[in-house]
Formats: sequence, C-alpha cells, structure tokens
Amino acid sequence: MQAVLRVLVGMPGRPGRSIGRGRRRHSGHRTRLAAALALVATALLVPSAAQPAGATSEKEVTFTVALVNEVDSFNPFLGFEAPSFEMWALTYDYLTNYSMKDMSPTPGLAKSWKTSKDGRTWTFDVRDGVKWSDGVPLTAADVAYTYTRVLGGGLEATTWASYLDSVTSATAPDATTLVLKLSRPNSVLPLLPIPIIPEHIWKDVSEKELKSYAAEPSKGEPVVGSGPFRLVEGTASGSTYRFEKNPDYWQGAPHVDEVAFRVFKSDDPAVQALIKGEVDFVEDITALQVKALQGRKGTTARNGVSPLFEEIAFNTGAVDTTTDKPLGDGNPALRDKRFRHALGYAVDRDRLIKSAHQGAGEVGSSVVPSAYGNFHWEPPKDDAFTFDLEKAGRLLDEAGYKRGADGIRTMPDGKPIAPLRLFARSEEKSSVSIMDFFKEWLGDLGIRAKVSAMESNKLTETILEGEYDAFQWNWYVEPDPDAILDVFTCAQRGGYSDSWYCNPEYDALNKAQSGEMDETKRVAITDRMQKILYDDAPYLVTAYTTTGEAVRSDRFACFEPQPDPGGVLLVQYGAHNYVTMRPADQAGDCDGVTSATRPTLAAGSDGEDGSSPLLLGVGVAVAVLVGGAGVLLALRRRGSAGERE
Amino acid sequence: MTTLATAPAQRVSGRASYPRYAASKALGALASLAFVLVVNFFLFRVLPGDPARTLGRGRFKNAEQLEEFNRAYGLDQPLPQQFLTFLRGTLTGDLGISLRYRVPVADLIWDRLWPTVLLVGTSTVLATLIGVYIGMLGAWNRGGRFDRLSTGATLTLYSMPEWWLGLLLIAGLAVGIGPLPGLFPTGGLHSTGMDPSSPAGVVDTCWHLVLPVTTLTLAYLADYSLVMRSSLLDELGADYLVTARAKGLRDVAVRRHHAVRNALLPTTTIAAINIGFVVSGAITIETIFSIPGLGLLSSEALSIPDYWVLQGTFLIASAAVIVANLAANLLYGLLDPRVRT
Repeated sequence: MQAVLRVLVGMPGRPGRSIGRGRRRHSGHRTRLAAALALVATALLVPSAAQPAGATSEKEVTFTVALVNEVDSFNPFLGFEAPSFEMWALTYDYLTNYSMKDMSPTPGLAKSWKTSKDGRTWTFDVRDGVKWSDGVPLTAADVAYTYTRVLGGGLEATTWASYLDSVTSATAPDATTLVLKLSRPNSVLPLLPIPIIPEHIWKDVSEKELKSYAAEPSKGEPVVGSGPFRLVEGTASGSTYRFEKNPDYWQGAPHVDEVAFRVFKSDDPAVQALIKGEVDFVEDITALQVKALQGRKGTTARNGVSPLFEEIAFNTGAVDTTTDKPLGDGNPALRDKRFRHALGYAVDRDRLIKSAHQGAGEVGSSVVPSAYGNFHWEPPKDDAFTFDLEKAGRLLDEAGYKRGADGIRTMPDGKPIAPLRLFARSEEKSSVSIMDFFKEWLGDLGIRAKVSAMESNKLTETILEGEYDAFQWNWYVEPDPDAILDVFTCAQRGGYSDSWYCNPEYDALNKAQSGEMDETKRVAITDRMQKILYDDAPYLVTAYTTTGEAVRSDRFACFEPQPDPGGVLLVQYGAHNYVTMRPADQAGDCDGVTSATRPTLAAGSDGEDGSSPLLLGVGVAVAVLVGGAGVLLALRRRGSAGERE
Repeated sequence: MTTLATAPAQRVSGRASYPRYAASKALGALASLAFVLVVNFFLFRVLPGDPARTLGRGRFKNAEQLEEFNRAYGLDQPLPQQFLTFLRGTLTGDLGISLRYRVPVADLIWDRLWPTVLLVGTSTVLATLIGVYIGMLGAWNRGGRFDRLSTGATLTLYSMPEWWLGLLLIAGLAVGIGPLPGLFPTGGLHSTGMDPSSPAGVVDTCWHLVLPVTTLTLAYLADYSLVMRSSLLDELGADYLVTARAKGLRDVAVRRHHAVRNALLPTTTIAAINIGFVVSGAITIETIFSIPGLGLLSSEALSIPDYWVLQGTFLIASAAVIVANLAANLLYGLLDPRVRT
C-alpha cells in the first residue's frame, strides 16, 4: 500500500508539466485527460497519505487550538491582540500570577512580597532555581531589567507602563530579591502582567531595533523564555504556531508534548475542524454554535464568563480639552444626567441578551463585571434599572421633558428634542440589533431616534469630534478595576473617555482608590464610584457577555475555568490550563480540581481511523474518474456525430 | 486596460517602429505607476481611523502611550514629511514597517504573496483552460443539451456567492456528510509542523489547496466560457469554415485549427488582465479557507488602517496590473502591427 501511495504521491509534478505542454501538441488530448485524472487521484489520496504521519506521532501528544485571529507580535512589547497575550503566557513567566477563582494576585516568579508601611517600597522574594530555556538561571536581575526597560519609556512603555504607575525604580539587590520604589502608594500592585524577558538576550536589542524586533525562532533555535512551552515555529501574521513543552518547567512539566495553534479566519470552518478532529479546541464561537456543539458526543461546549461588558454610551458633553469650549453637536438633552438616568429604565436588558446575544450573557449593571466578585458593585434592588417605560416617562416628566401635543417629548424650555443619533458598529451584528431595540423603546417614550451603523474606526473618530448622541460598544475589563474606572475621569476626555464624562467628585475618589492600600477601604471607594456612574449614566451597561468555547473532551480534559466557576477554559490570565490539562486517557481526577472539565466518551464514528477514509477515498476517486471519463467520451462522440448529420 | 482597446491605426502618417512603440508603452506604464504611487499615499491617509487608537483600544491607558507609539512609527510627523519618507523608502525598496505586525512590509508581502499566487494563479489558469474548453464545446453545439447545461451551470456558479460555495464544499468534502468521510482539510495552507519546502510539505500544500482552488475555479469559469462561446459563435458563420469543411477536414480539425484559433483573441485579453489581478488576492475565499494571502492582508489592514501595508499591497497589485497590461500591449504590437500608431 505504501508503495502505491508513494507512486501516486510522487506524481503531481508531472501532470502539471504535461498540461502546460499539451496545449501546443495536437495529440495532447489523452495526455491532458490522464494528467487531470492523476491530479484528481492524487488530491483524493493525499489525506490518507498524510494520516500515517499523524499516527506515527502517537507518543507525541499535540494539543491543537483554533484561533480566530492572528498573533500580531511575539514580542511582548509590541503586540496588542489577545492571541499574542496567550503566546507570551506560554513563553514567559510573570512576577505574580492570577488566581483561577477571581484573578486576584497569586505567587508567580515571586514566592511572596511585602510592602513598607508608607506603601512606597515593595519587596518581592523571587524564586530560586528557575532557568531560562537556554540553561541560564533566571534571577531577580532579569525582572529588574524588564521593568527598567518599561520604566525607561519608549515602545516598551506603550503596553506596560500603566502597570508600573508611580514606580520610580526596579532594582535587584541580590539574585532573589526585587525592590520597587514608588513615588506614592499604588493599589494596583502586585498585579504585574508584564512578561519577564531574559536580559542576556534582550540587552542586544536596542530601542531602535525594538520597533520591528520579532522575538521569533530563528535558524531553528526556539525563542528563549522560562514559560511552560517554547515557540519552535511561527511568525506574527502567520497562520500556524507550534510550541514544544518545557520539561523542566518550575511548576511541573506540562502533560502534552506540543501545543499548536491554527488561525481560522472565519468561525464556521473552525467549528467544522473541531467536529472533524483537526483541532481540539475552538474559542470565540457564537452562542448558536455552542448550542449546536452541545449535542455532540465527545465534545464539551460552553459559554464561559469573560470579563466583558456591553454598553450604550452617551455624549454627556464633548469639550475641546485645551480651550474647554463645547465640541461637536451632541444632543443637549443628554448633557442632563436626569435625562440619561431615566433612559436607564427604557432598556429591556433581558430581551437584549435573548435576542442580540443569543441568550449568552447576564444582565449588566456596573462597569466592573460580576466576574470580579470583590470589586463588583451591584445596585440595591430599589435603585436598579428595570424595564419600566412608565417609570422612565415619569422621571422624564419630573425633569421637565414633557410630551408635547404630538406625543413627542420636548426640552424643559419647550423646544423639541432633536432625534437622537444612535450609532452602532457595522462589524458587529449585535451592536446594530441593540440600537434597533433601543430606538423602539425610545419611540415608546416619545423620543425620536435614528440608528446608523458605521465601522468602528469611523465611530472612534466621530466620538472624538463629539458628533454623536449615543453609540453601542463594549469593554474588556482587566482584573483590577483601576483601568476601567480611569476611563471616566476628566483627564481621559479626548483620550479613552468616549462619553466625555467629567465629575470632580468622581476624579477625587479615583485618586483616593488608586493609593488606598487597604482593600476593604478601597472597595468602599470603588463601590461609591460605580454608584456615581450608575446614577449619572454616561453608560448604560446592558450585559456581561460570555465567550463561546468548545473542547474535544474525548481527547483532552482537566481545563479549569477562570473565573471559577463559570469562566473561560483558555485565553485566560496566565498559562495555568496549558500546564494542568491532560490527555483524556490520563485525566484521573484532574489533580483533585473538581471544577475542571472531565473526559467524555468519544463520538461514535471516531473509533476507526485512517483505513476507512482511505478506502472510501479510493472508491470515490475511482467513481469520479470513471464517471468523468465516460461523460467526456460520450460528449466528444456525440459532438462530432451531431455535427456530421 | 484602456490601451488594450485602442482602435487600429487611424492615420497612416508613418507606422512607428516596434522599439519606439514599445518605448512609448513602457513610458506610459511608468507614468501610471508614478501616479499610483502618489494616489496610494493620500488615498489611505483620508481613511477614517487612527491606527494608534484602533490598535491600542484598552491597551494604552494614557495619551503619552499613544504619542509614544506614533513617534516610534513616524506617524507624528507632518503629512508632507511622511510623504517624502514614503517616496524615499519606496524608491529604495523599503516599504516601511507594518503597524499591526511590526515587521517590514516587504517581508510581510513576500510571505503572503505565494499563497495568493498559488490559490488565485492556479484557479485563473484552471478556469481559463476549462472555461475555454466548455465555451468551445457549447458554441460548437449551440442549443444542444451540453450547451444549455454548461451555460446554466457556469452562470449559476458565477452568480453564487463564493463564500457559500466554499462553505458547501467544506461541509461536503472537508467534514464529510453521512458515510462520506472528510477528504480535505477545513482550511489553512499546510499542516502544523510540516515543512512546506519538503516534498511531503508540497503535497500537503496541494492537498490543502484542492477545495479553495476548486471553489475559485468554479466561480471564475463563466468568465471564460461565456466569452469563448460568444466569440466562437461569431466565427461559426465565417466563409473560411465552409472552405475548411469543403476541403473535407474532420469536424474536430475544423474547430481546432480554424475556428478556435480566431476566437481565442478576446479570451486572451481577459486572461491577460486577470493574471494582472492575481496578486490582488481573493478576499472571500482566503477568509473562508483561512489562507494567509494578500487579499486578506489588505482587507484587514483597511480596518486599522495600517497605512504602510495598504500602500505596499496596493502598489504591488497596481504594478502587477500595469505590467500585465504592458505585456499584453507589447504582445499585441508584435502580433498585429496595426496597433502601433
């Protein structure tokens, strides 16, 4: 069989040439047909030829993940896309990690840490005995080097500087001690998701080279890192990335030999690849696809909580930040927080989740998603927005926005309220659908509105020019609430504030929380901030959505959700699951982690491999060839016969 | 493209020599290229969107980080200055650094070029060959069962959305339906861990390309078959065919040596133009089959917008069309001296 295969497989070079030459030759007909047939045959047989290659690596276990987006850079100072963060997590380590339960800080390269009384000196006890993949020991000096590069500004600072806010220096007095000096207390520490890079490699990468430094394997040498895996093949913008395990990983060797990533540019084929078994994991699929996969044997599909909220945002009054003069043409009604607050009762959040998000998600309230249990503030029952158009109408009446004779509400001074321009992002179907619903509900309240969809680039520009009334977007929220709360400060107007919200009281609270080292006190402050945002309603948070994922649980098991319970299984904070996941037949009790996914029985037809597709492939090939040749011959005969008549 | 349609010489005021004709065509091509170069730069700068903001949403936390990014990639420079940098760079072969992938655009385009050429190039060639053949058979038996069938089928395939056809093929032939197993991969260009330059890797790549190339070929078929069919129909009534038949030639010989020869010219024109368009890629097919080609690269760059990548891919695409056009012109000048005005 192998020999036959080899002969057939060896052919594609030849048919190609004879097709080319056949054009000139008078007797080229039969050659051409034969060549075409050979090509078809080769094509049909190749899968069977390729399968043994997969089978021989039976001892080598490869876990294949389908990504829906490319890695934009393997260089941790350059990339922005979520897949890149995943690759860095596999390649590098962090000073502190995130807990699986609620993403609070846990020991990483640092075994422990302590803070001075004034909160301005942090001392980390760095783990001893960790080695880079090239054998060089990893010490506190590497950590200090990484942080110093970030502190030095430049491109290194673009993604990471905000995590070292108010840090003035990072030093390593000895191999196991790292000291951070701060200008003022910083409550976000010790969350430090900055990948630690090896000084002995990166000291040769100058600031100028950095902007296009790929940090990819070169000349067959894997990238030097300390993480559970190392990149052996792959390039940014490429469509496959391959990692091999680091058998000496300090948290224990991973249970799979290789992790491979394949980029699918559309999610339907990715789901098909999972069904077929080409990949073992798909992420970022729709709720409908999850539902379809849930019925399949051997597959575990779920919607994992991911810290993301969907919002309807308002133009609360755009200003030119240098002159403080009004900017753009936002609707004056939306500058009134009572007007915005009333609209909070005009959104049927359950309906939006059911229709726009296909049922995957939960009702949203504050800008800190419920996944962050500790920092999430839930409005008390009496204050929480419900879908109550009557109440919304009453609040609007009280605020002076009364219905006119035609049923349309007017400004308190009697002028008509101009129709609200509701902008949706054209790339996102749910965005348009949410705004369509919102328009209907506004209509019921006697407020005219008009929905238009535009590309998010265009929308960003429109927001910065203040030429909008409301738009729909979402935010991914990091484990510490500091970043998302900062978006609503006055200083962010013209930056990342897209509601132009400005409230001195809020700003003062924000400053206080960022320096408050006592967590209970800090939570009290952040709760107040969330309440202010809820009442003033620059955003109406509609939903905390989820991310659809599916895993071939007949092959791999022991994925622990983050946050636990209910969270996502991969693309988490850190590489925890890549280390703890196991092939299904070695799952055992998943090291006692009860919330981890369990292996399931294989899908019925998956038991057989190789041989039957091969035979069927040959059968189909033969059928196609015979059929095709027959049709061709018949046509040719008929052709000339018909002409002669 | 317009030059292809130039009428035969109106004046006899001295038919230019071939070198002079070739030089004038080449100069014209150079001028178009220079024009494209300038337009490329300003066209993308007026697109809505700010790369630093698009890329850094949720990553940059303050204005300084945004400015730092712009400074590093030269986006803080005034536009005329950027234009000069772009001109100088392009003329010295430096296409800049991609804002999204942070690698030299020339490397990026090079990596993406061969998947596109393999996919679109192969499909174009296959579609030309098969399309011409189908068109020829159809015209020869006009109104016959094959003609009706093939015209209907190619038109249906032509009007069908490519992505839908692609998804059907994936569902049918990659995943498998009922007893039929999945024969082909669901996407990508090669298997992970396969060296594409090894013999096994080449086979692997061919195997991955079967479905996308089939989809694209089917979609392109009508382009060629319909043109071939109508131009052959035009020839059918010609006297020389009667003569040929009168000589007692076999039907196949009449068709092959007399009719088809003359009917091929319009198809050649289309093929020449389409070959120029090969490097523009096939965005939908590249998306459905996850083939990292140039079409996908430029369409994704638009959403950032990644100026340097857009300038690079559009330059390559326009240059290819201009060169293909020039080649066709030069060929025409050789084949038919009348066009040398």
